[in-house]
Amino acid sequence: MNIKRSIVLRVRLAFLIVALIAGAILFKIVRLQFVEGEKWTAKAESANFKYRQVSATRGNIYAADGSLLATSLPFYRVVLDPTVAKTNVFNEGIDQLSGLLADFYKDRSKASYKKMITDAKSNGKRYLILNRKQIGYQDMQMMSTWPIFNKGRMGGGVIFEKVEKRYRPFNSLASRTVGFLNEDRYGAGIEYSFNDYLEGKNGQAMFQKIAGGYWKPVFNAEDIKPEDGYDVHTTLDVNIQDVAESALYRQLMEKDAAFGTVIVMEVATGKIKALANLQKNKNGRGYSESYNYAIGDQGLTEPGSTFKLMSMLALLEEGKVNLNDAVDTGDGVFQFYDRKMTDAKTGGYGRISVREIFEKSSNIGISKLVDQSFGHNPKKFMSYIEKAGLDKPLDFQLKGEGVPYFKKPGEKNWYGTTLPWMSIGYETKLTPLHTLTLYNAVANNGKMVKPMIVESIAKGNYVQKSFQTEVLRKSIASEKTIKQLQELLEGVVKNGTAKNVHNDQYKIAGKTGTAQKLEEGRYTRRYYTSFVGYFPADNPKYSAIVVIDSPKGFNAYGGDISAPVFKEIADKIHAQDLRLNKKTPADVYLAQQTSDFPYIQAGKVDELQLICNKFGISNHANGVNEGYVRSKSMDRSIQWQANQTESPVVPDVSGLPLRDALYVLENKGLRVIYQGKGRVKNQSISPGSPVQQNHVINLILG
Amino acid sequence: MIVALKSWIDRNLKGDPIIWGIVILLSIISILVVYSATGSLAYKFKGGNTEKYLFDHSMMVFGGLLVMWVAHKVPYKWYGLVGRLLLVISIPLLIFTYFFGTNLNEASRWINIPIINKAFQPSDIAKLGLIATLASILAKRQKSLEELKKSFLTIILVIGLICMLIGLANMSTALLLFFTCFLLMFIGRVPGKYLIMCVLFGALFISVSAMVGQRGATFFSRIENYMSKDDTLQYQVEQSYIAISTGGITGKGPGKSEQRNSLPHPYSDFIYAIIIEEYGLIGGGTVLFLYLALLYRGMRIVASSTKPFGGLLSAGLSFALVLQAMVNMGVAVGIGPVTGLPLPLLSMGGTSLLFTGFSLGIILSVSRGDHEDSVDTVVEGNRSKKVFQTA
Repeated sequence: MNIKRSIVLRVRLAFLIVALIAGAILFKIVRLQFVEGEKWTAKAESANFKYRQVSATRGNIYAADGSLLATSLPFYRVVLDPTVAKTNVFNEGIDQLSGLLADFYKDRSKASYKKMITDAKSNGKRYLILNRKQIGYQDMQMMSTWPIFNKGRMGGGVIFEKVEKRYRPFNSLASRTVGFLNEDRYGAGIEYSFNDYLEGKNGQAMFQKIAGGYWKPVFNAEDIKPEDGYDVHTTLDVNIQDVAESALYRQLMEKDAAFGTVIVMEVATGKIKALANLQKNKNGRGYSESYNYAIGDQGLTEPGSTFKLMSMLALLEEGKVNLNDAVDTGDGVFQFYDRKMTDAKTGGYGRISVREIFEKSSNIGISKLVDQSFGHNPKKFMSYIEKAGLDKPLDFQLKGEGVPYFKKPGEKNWYGTTLPWMSIGYETKLTPLHTLTLYNAVANNGKMVKPMIVESIAKGNYVQKSFQTEVLRKSIASEKTIKQLQELLEGVVKNGTAKNVHNDQYKIAGKTGTAQKLEEGRYTRRYYTSFVGYFPADNPKYSAIVVIDSPKGFNAYGGDISAPVFKEIADKIHAQDLRLNKKTPADVYLAQQTSDFPYIQAGKVDELQLICNKFGISNHANGVNEGYVRSKSMDRSIQWQANQTESPVVPDVSGLPLRDALYVLENKGLRVIYQGKGRVKNQSISPGSPVQQNHVINLILG
Repeated sequence: MIVALKSWIDRNLKGDPIIWGIVILLSIISILVVYSATGSLAYKFKGGNTEKYLFDHSMMVFGGLLVMWVAHKVPYKWYGLVGRLLLVISIPLLIFTYFFGTNLNEASRWINIPIINKAFQPSDIAKLGLIATLASILAKRQKSLEELKKSFLTIILVIGLICMLIGLANMSTALLLFFTCFLLMFIGRVPGKYLIMCVLFGALFISVSAMVGQRGATFFSRIENYMSKDDTLQYQVEQSYIAISTGGITGKGPGKSEQRNSLPHPYSDFIYAIIIEEYGLIGGGTVLFLYLALLYRGMRIVASSTKPFGGLLSAGLSFALVLQAMVNMGVAVGIGPVTGLPLPLLSMGGTSLLFTGFSLGIILSVSRGDHEDSVDTVVEGNRSKKVFQTA
């Protein structure tokens, strides 16, 4: 046989093999279609497999110091498939289990639970929700040890369905600013405005339907892993927020007002340090955060006298007015066309200087001046408003910002009375945030910065986006005008309508506002009171606005209602902020020269050192390098001693504040139960004994 | 018009016209089916932009055809040299890929080409190189069996090395290549006892590779899965059966596949199931027939060739291609363990399509060379002999 014929023969043989494989494939297709067809068609109809969504974990929201404002925690719903457990297991455990459930949920009796479960079992019900209440992780762990439950999902039939819930460690603090997002993806605040970053990207995975309507994940290379959301870092300061909220709350309660708002902002950067909104609850008792009046549409109102700053700015810039010019404000009533303008003081202020007009907040004085200067050319007045950036929304980071409302000269609704009334803050609408932005610009020597509440968006250490302070206007007015405005605002507190907030420690500058509320086209006897300003006036660090709506009682003026809240907040911030205090603690300590050497308890070493150094107390660590120490006083100096927190024995936590004691002990694996308030007085496991994981240690504080 | 087209084809598409026809037909089917099968992929990864995959895949199909056209222009005698070159390049590439390649499904099989940002599998290069080299070695030794014996050790070592390197990351490709080489040696008249030795060597190399490689565990579990007579089928296989079974005789119609949403890799590993689901038994049978026809035409070239290199080259490449197709289809219908080999010419496979085009171009070049040769032989009888010797 020649070579070629041999090769060709062999190729034909190989071809035959391949043809046989092809035949087998064809045969198998026919078999699948015609012999097993029904079986597979039935399978297809039962739709056992499906791509289902795997939720991404939502990002956290942090305060400026890293405190958690909102995070996602797992919660569980307890469901039982009573048909799973074997009869002997079920019968043995059901009594005890019913008892435990009754004790835990406290909503039904033991007998009732037992009946519910046994009924479900005998009816062959495979999905029994034991209780709608969702439980935490710790409770879930505990429940897993209960009879029947301890046999797990396959042996006992218990299913802990995971639900991710938004959790706010500070409860209602800044709750409206943090916001929410409901299932229709509608919401408010940061949760809503930054949802694109927070929500992450949901994944998809193949799931198989198993008996009882549950879905079990199936491994599949094409699964898309969920991408967790980004964390949002806000500029909020939990301490200032807390101070602002509680001060506002007290005043609202006292005056039985409708709602109130506080914004505290850092002058140089526009960073919002606190943003509180409290509204009277529907049932009339107490207040809670339910609408962001500081920023939102409903917060848009006639600002009243706080707008006089804008009028003064226009007058001074126009150069037609001198602060010492005398103006006749008459007997307290002045007729503009068909409308009467009145002043707060019955009988009027008479002839007073421009400075006094502002300090006493004379409506007639301001409106007369503005009408004289701009009456023939109201567009000029409007141009100053535009220059100050008040006519357009701020494009704030939170969604739903109210749009400022100004009438336009020459339009139908512009009357001869419009300009005088606008000059004192009527017939025009602004949000509290916008008003504050103007005052902040004056505090910031004319530079208007955009308020901001979110500083950065990050995941772990990776910063996805960071926001810088944005300058809206390099200068809203000339340097001279700004200086005069600052002088006027300080005058209001020194001599004018806000004399009650004047103090010797530090200077506050600001302006009161009291606007009559317009309801259904008529001005009522209800007021919108506000105070907006900044402190310390010599070198402004913070600006703030306090708004209280419809307070009850006699003195419904901004100076009486809102200014005290401003002062309370300013006082606390001033006291807390070491940088604001001119007198350092060391000065105070040395000045007093008390004979007693301060008693310093145990605590975190870096914190204690900081305090001691500020007070000028000499302190030494002498080679101790543990995080938590106790102090030993020696010859007017402090010696830090190690607290043995790093060795594997129970440390001595006496003298530690609860926060530190919890940290130290729980890191050791102990579980802490405490009673009382203050620092640790007594601990149930004596120091130095070996640590046994998950043992309970009782602390008594005092 | 038709006349003009025909003359254009005559001028430009040389070689076996039936192979050209089959390839173009399969390419059209490929674009249709891949477009349908990538629907769920597009929704998951590209935000519903299904045209993205259509465009990418079509570009690759046309790229493959272009490579095929270029390759068929080159006289096939050069492919012995090209093959050896590819083989040498492939060794460091395979090693590099194993350690630094792109990881897909826990196996590094791909290298990214930086500038054009396309990934390719060095095993594609190795496969082409090995078959061409083997064909040329076998062709040279056809005159005497003695010579064959002498170079047998080299042959077996080269085959073993390449298959082992491929097997580190991709066991099914390695096995298939080994079997193709075995078939080629059988066709190339290697005596029976050497073939048995070859199988033993092969078994050794493959097991070493399975022990140290990344895919060893998967390899064994898949074999185990297939062998076990357990009632519970693997998820993919079950879904594939549903697709085939619900397709019926005429299929659900183009783009009407339902199983593409639940079948993993409906655009590559299980594309045949989708073809049957959409085009029915008729469509599935047609595709099967087209592959057999392709192999038959490749075989015809062997019969009509006067030179062993051309014949062996054509046989080796056609068998490599069609065997892979058979394995892929076999997996889809459940007569073999799940392998993850794409269906050549039909699956969405990126740059693999270019290498398939290259293989087909070589086959066409052989078919066309013979045609010219036979004409030449009539005119001047001694020239073909000269060519034969240089080959």
